Amino acid sequence: MIWYGIIICGVITFLIRFIPMSGIISRELSPSTKNSFKYIPLAVLTPIIVNDLSIVENNSLFLIENHKLYAGLISIIVALTTNNILATISVGMASYLFMSNFMNV
Amino acid sequence: MELMKKFIIFKQGVLEELPLQLGVFPFGIIYGIMAIESGLTPIQAFLMSSIIFGGASQIAFVQLISSATPLGVVVTTVSAINSRHFLYSISMMEYLKNLSLKWRIVLSYLLTDEAYAVSIRRFINEPSTSFLHFHLLGTGITLFLSWQISTLIGVLVGGDLPQFLDLQFIIPLTFIAIIVPMIKSISTFFVVIASAFSGLILKSLDINFWIVISGMIGVVIGLISSKLDKKR
Repeated sequence: MIWYGIIICGVITFLIRFIPMSGIISRELSPSTKNSFKYIPLAVLTPIIVNDLSIVENNSLFLIENHKLYAGLISIIVALTTNNILATISVGMASYLFMSNFMNV
Repeated sequence: MELMKKFIIFKQGVLEELPLQLGVFPFGIIYGIMAIESGLTPIQAFLMSSIIFGGASQIAFVQLISSATPLGVVVTTVSAINSRHFLYSISMMEYLKNLSLKWRIVLSYLLTDEAYAVSIRRFINEPSTSFLHFHLLGTGITLFLSWQISTLIGVLVGGDLPQFLDLQFIIPLTFIAIIVPMIKSISTFFVVIASAFSGLILKSLDINFWIVISGMIGVVIGLISSKLDKKR
């Protein structure tokens, strides 16, 4: 099943990159279509982040003592101020490990 | 003479792409580690980097597979994340349309965020230079090699890391690092807010395809609010 997933995703990703260059599409895309392509990565990655920060656990909001949420917020601040992938991940991970191992927030 | 010129443009592509590897290389290692942590075999984890060859989408793939997400959702999510490459390809088409099919297949495969970002600048600034496609070949191959090597390092160290590190948490942090710099306007801010809230609600309602549906809601809200960007 994982192999099927990898191969199907690989073929689709290649087609996404190849179809315009193949010359099949001759018509210019409308501005709204171009805009929607710009929004898609943001719109798809955000729900994954929200889910991984465990904000909803067992169908209820989990905000207090949620170390992942706090570390996520810290990493957002780091991303905003440094615009550096490695710094964002390192500070976020360090604060998460610190809170989950040494603090009863 | 002609061969020399092709090599010079290729080399320029390689050299201009190299500084970006400071960001790509650690990202590749993180992907390799995550893939092993998520239960993929080393071969699956390594080959995914050449079969899909798309950083954020590969991390989303392993995250979704590890949480037993249906294959349809995984494929739709990966395709949605990589859909921006469609636009890259459209803008490259103008410069590469006279190339043979074989060249266009190779360059399409190598067309990723970082290769596009470096090469399109050259294409726009010097559109009349001959053999420009060798520049994209240079940026693309540099990125490809860097991604494969860093994935391999991640795969090799992945299984040996202690459990208490809870490395799965690197995934949302990586995505935060990717999307925060993309929030540059009112509409992109609304996309994030709308898709975050719909994601929370739809997930708690146990709705299948919650990522895809909340993504669609985010895009619609983005398109509606894009009028606000123009007014600023």
